[in-house]
Amino acid sequence: MNQIIDISTGQLLLALLFILIAQASSFIYHLGLNRDIAIGTLRTFSQLFLMGYVLTFILKTSNPWLTLSVFMVMVVSAMFIIKGRVKEKQIPYILPTFLTMLVSYLATALFVSGLVIGITPWWEPRYFIPAGGMVIGNSMSALAISLERLFKDMRQQKDVLEMKLSLGANYREASNDIFRNAVTAGMIPSINAMMGVGLVFIPGMMSGQILAGTDPLIAIRYQIVVMLMLVGSTAVSSVIVMLIIRRRCFGSGEEVLLTPR
Amino acid sequence: MTSLLDIRDISFAYEGSPPVFEHLNLTVLPGEFILVKGPSGCGKSTLLRLICRLNQLTGGSILFQGSDIQSITPAKLRSSISYVAQIPQMLDLSVMENLLLPFSFAINADKSPPGKNELSVMLKIFYLSDVSLDHSTMKLSTGQKQRVAIMRALLQEPLLLLLDEPTSALDQESALMVFSIMERLNVEQRRTVITVTHNDYQPETVKSLTYTLANRSLHRSS
Repeated sequence: MNQIIDISTGQLLLALLFILIAQASSFIYHLGLNRDIAIGTLRTFSQLFLMGYVLTFILKTSNPWLTLSVFMVMVVSAMFIIKGRVKEKQIPYILPTFLTMLVSYLATALFVSGLVIGITPWWEPRYFIPAGGMVIGNSMSALAISLERLFKDMRQQKDVLEMKLSLGANYREASNDIFRNAVTAGMIPSINAMMGVGLVFIPGMMSGQILAGTDPLIAIRYQIVVMLMLVGSTAVSSVIVMLIIRRRCFGSGEEVLLTPR
Repeated sequence: MTSLLDIRDISFAYEGSPPVFEHLNLTVLPGEFILVKGPSGCGKSTLLRLICRLNQLTGGSILFQGSDIQSITPAKLRSSISYVAQIPQMLDLSVMENLLLPFSFAINADKSPPGKNELSVMLKIFYLSDVSLDHSTMKLSTGQKQRVAIMRALLQEPLLLLLDEPTSALDQESALMVFSIMERLNVEQRRTVITVTHNDYQPETVKSLTYTLANRSLHRSS
């Protein structure tokens, strides 16, 4: 009963039928998504297979530096994905975002694996890498949404910002609404996930544990820790990044640096 | 008399563009009414924005009450030098909430906001007697918004008022009202005013100093 059913290569290829359906929909309705779906499918296969082999190797060698290197690669990859999505050329946001991501994600993953779950050693790759991956993946989307919103609103509301500055507001007072909206926009998906978890969907990690034969009551405990960890890390990284980047949108005279595109 | 504003040999250029103006000088005494004229795009608005640091100088210096504006906290500088933009900006709130906006900022924390009666009296002075304090500013005409914007700028008692083409978007009747307000502020309250315009406005009731900004430099016209 508890034995895991392996998925053969043939069965894996059978799952490609779902992609064929998506491709057909895009073709018939001229959605223009055929290329993206094809690339996405290839990347899903190649990246996950690569990750599978890497994880197998890391679990076998059980080396802290190797574990941290994989974590580092994940953060750098997340930064590249954010850079691809947030097309901002005027304000240098990459380095502060990367450093905040690195520090806050590392702190969260350490806190969860070392203190909450209490693994010894704290870097045990079987726990540390999945926990880190979930934090990075979730928070990466939140940061991309928040940054896009911050830059867009700053540009669109430049006249209002300058009106407030002209009336004696400091840059924080002038941009409070924009800051709040940017952080909120990034955090809503994580909060919505907390609302729907267990009712609307069963999260991937919990499903995986149950499929692997773990007692559902243990799986839900892990999932609760993960949900809380995701909201916390998203909040911390979004707030810190938005605080730093918001300041960078203003010059030394607290003038708005962003110009309309 | 000690000058209120000293513009010393300033230059400004947008990044990667030729200079808007170079080696520009101007001294403003308290109570003066300065009119800066010039064709569109000659840098008149930029000059006002440099004075309140909404743009940064690329050369020279500006002294306000003897201190370099770079050494004054931006919020403090802008509560002493009020800039009203060409297109008045309002928050989607009532007239009263917009008028009291400056008092929600830390720099004005020690100033007591005017009461409803005081504001109602001011509305009349600004030819806004048909506007109620509870009115949404989104329902005001551009001319009415411009007068509310000037009134709001004045409520924090600035030492210098900068008006950027205050009548360019207005019909003749509204423009005349704004001109009249500007002149009365100077005559009755001894407010120091610098206004820029590209039209033929010439103050009737105040003694003004007119400058022309053209070919990257500023010349006294009268």
